[in-house]
Amino acid sequence: MHFKKHSSLLALFLLAVTLLIMGCSSENATTDVDEADNTADSASGGILKVAYPTQPQTLDPHATTAEATRDASKLIYEALVTLDNNYEVMPQLAESYTVSDDRKTVTFKLRDGVKFHNGNDMTAEDVIASMEKWGANKAELGEHTWTKVDDTTVELALSEPSSLIMYFLADQGNIAAIMPKDIVSSAGATGVDEYIGTGPFEFVEWKQDEVIHFKKFEGYQPDTDPADGLGGKKEALVDAIEWQFVPDSSTRVNGLMSGQYQFAHMLSYDSIPQLENSKGSVVEVWPYGIEGLIFNKKQGVFKDVKVRQAVNYALDMEVIMSSAFASDEFYSLDNSLFLPSQKAWYTDAGKELYNQKDLGKAKELLKEAGYNGEEVVILTSRDYEHHYNAAIATQQQLEQLGMKTKLDVYDWPTLLERRNNPEAYDLFYTGFSTTATPNQYVFLDSQTAWPGWSENADIDRLLNEIKLEENPDEALALTAELQKVMWEYLPIISTGQNSRVSGYSEKLEGYKTMLGPVFWNVSLNK
Amino acid sequence: MKAYIMKRLLSIIPVLLIVAVIVFFIIHLIPGDPASVILGEEATPEEVQTLREELGFNLPIYEQFVHWFAGIFQGNFGSSIYMNMPVLDAFLGHVGPTLSLALLAQSISIIIAIPLGVIAAKRRGTYVDQLFMIIAMLGLSIPSFLLALLLMLFFGVNLQWLPVAGYSPVSSGLWNHLQFMILPAISLGAIQAAVISRMTRSSMIDILNMNYIKTAKAKGVKNSVVVYKHALRNAFIPILTILGETFGALITGAVVTETVFNLPGIGQLVINAIVRRDYAVIQGTILMIAFSYLILNLIIDLLYGLVDPRVRLNRK
Repeated sequence: MHFKKHSSLLALFLLAVTLLIMGCSSENATTDVDEADNTADSASGGILKVAYPTQPQTLDPHATTAEATRDASKLIYEALVTLDNNYEVMPQLAESYTVSDDRKTVTFKLRDGVKFHNGNDMTAEDVIASMEKWGANKAELGEHTWTKVDDTTVELALSEPSSLIMYFLADQGNIAAIMPKDIVSSAGATGVDEYIGTGPFEFVEWKQDEVIHFKKFEGYQPDTDPADGLGGKKEALVDAIEWQFVPDSSTRVNGLMSGQYQFAHMLSYDSIPQLENSKGSVVEVWPYGIEGLIFNKKQGVFKDVKVRQAVNYALDMEVIMSSAFASDEFYSLDNSLFLPSQKAWYTDAGKELYNQKDLGKAKELLKEAGYNGEEVVILTSRDYEHHYNAAIATQQQLEQLGMKTKLDVYDWPTLLERRNNPEAYDLFYTGFSTTATPNQYVFLDSQTAWPGWSENADIDRLLNEIKLEENPDEALALTAELQKVMWEYLPIISTGQNSRVSGYSEKLEGYKTMLGPVFWNVSLNK
Repeated sequence: MKAYIMKRLLSIIPVLLIVAVIVFFIIHLIPGDPASVILGEEATPEEVQTLREELGFNLPIYEQFVHWFAGIFQGNFGSSIYMNMPVLDAFLGHVGPTLSLALLAQSISIIIAIPLGVIAAKRRGTYVDQLFMIIAMLGLSIPSFLLALLLMLFFGVNLQWLPVAGYSPVSSGLWNHLQFMILPAISLGAIQAAVISRMTRSSMIDILNMNYIKTAKAKGVKNSVVVYKHALRNAFIPILTILGETFGALITGAVVTETVFNLPGIGQLVINAIVRRDYAVIQGTILMIAFSYLILNLIIDLLYGLVDPRVRLNRK
């Protein structure tokens, strides 16, 4: 009898805890109802559910180069100019622009009738405030000022001529988003706290570590030019996007196969066969950029260019790339810094130095350099399996070359800190998403002081010449020269180009990837 | 009784102080830097340094500690720099899925484990006993992530009866909530059930061999009354201890299960905060986890007294 009484006490306690849970989650209740109403009103395009691996810190693209920010914020924000299918600059919020003959002034004519998500018109003041915030910490811009000419015209004046300025403005790593002036002026150290842009989707709500809700921006004024790359006519064809954070890769695959998500970003290379065998899913392999082995050139054995060259002579790129990216569907042995589709910059200069597999020559160089069994510390992390596997394959090849090696495995944030310390390592692996110009690769320029500490007068000079060069053909020739110097000086070794993999439902129509997923002009069939 | 509870509550304070100091210094000793996580892969060292200064991470570590510690006494656990919200709000925002998961998993494990354990004890040495204990051993040996993935593949992908992953709060409707919780609760509960059923069995076997049970049987008391009333109640103290331990482990975040099923609970909060080096969140959450663990232990101790009056008398 007694026991029964007490078990009802226990039940009471459990009930109290349940009520507590309900209390904790009730704050979400109102927003859920609102959403349901919204979609009921215009239920035609459906809700697109995206499974994305990581949550960004902010949706303010000015504040970070993180891809998680870039991919989500692209829905909300637009810049004056963007990139077309060939990664060339095209106008977006600007109707047109003219670069002066001395390449020190750019005049933008703003598009008429562009509205922010808060209903206000985009003005020259908004553009100037946004661009001043975006450019505040950007060394590559040099000294510059933005001025208003009239209500629909703004002017950018540079202290030094630049042929690359338009590429910087169209860059997707750090989108030069236009936001309302009052929001820009209240921004804190880690970005704005209200997300209002001019893009085809507007920000609705962010549930931390769970989901970001976007909905179609009804007041959107598409560009009248045909869609091209990231520009031209953009239309929100779905009513809303649920951007869910799903850190586990197999959960993203399973959710895609079960139809819970219509899009799953960044799938592991091993899961592709599973997805290919299941009905209703499409595998999207999209070119990403280069996989790079970065040498510490400030201190240790790799300070000597001959030792770096010895490593380059020895490496078998096929082995490294296949252990990192599983199948040659996902990588190509291409020594270029740029993707073949980037016509303005693509060159195979330096090819003869890539993928030599010449152990004899390598050992000779190592001997010449006076290598004496010093330990090579390889910094790596299991947080990114492909970087880790590339490091393991490299370690074996260095051992074969007769170098003594040690693998230091940390979590990624620790690696990010340790790579800043020249005493802590000799080499590490990381990937570089392709950039709009050679000048945006952080590992080339000596001024960036980026980990690895590149210090080469020829590279610096060539980067500067590319920046000043007016003629695109000449710029490409200079890039070829730059790439050749790079393969001799070896600030990094690019082990090859690689692709990333996403998957999406057959119901998704018009989907494409360009520097991350693109969800405008995409519709959802029932 | 009241004095006892007061004493126990007061003893929590020094424990929390020690936890606070240890957590703070361990977190800050780990290399890694929130500013470079925020700014992304290709930020230059100069940009990282600027942000570090703006966020106050360039101050000496003891100054940061004093600042944080003083805040706690005013109920201010600091702010998450990554999520741009107070730590307390972040914690409360993540506590729902974890509590719900813990309660459901624990209920499932009790419903399975206690009858299994009792039956196995009653039929000790028979095939039934051996079969049950083999099942329990299997449950103990399966890694939770594997069971989770198998359940997900079968019920989510193949049969499509339940969603594969995700979360919806109770306020969106009970079924809406439960459909996301069933698979994670089973995958966790099954493993807990293995532990609890083994404990129930051994505890019951001890009791069933006692003289008073034999006396009761000799007096002609019905077998089911002997087992479920006289024996189970007395066997319950060690079971309750195990229940407390497993529930404590569940409530402090079933990290793996939460990750696989994408439940935005406490386990995920801590893991994400560590990856982001979001110091204030790690510190605050671990303090609160320690606090709930201590409170839970206190509750379990009080429940001993409810189940077994002898324990109450001993405390006087």
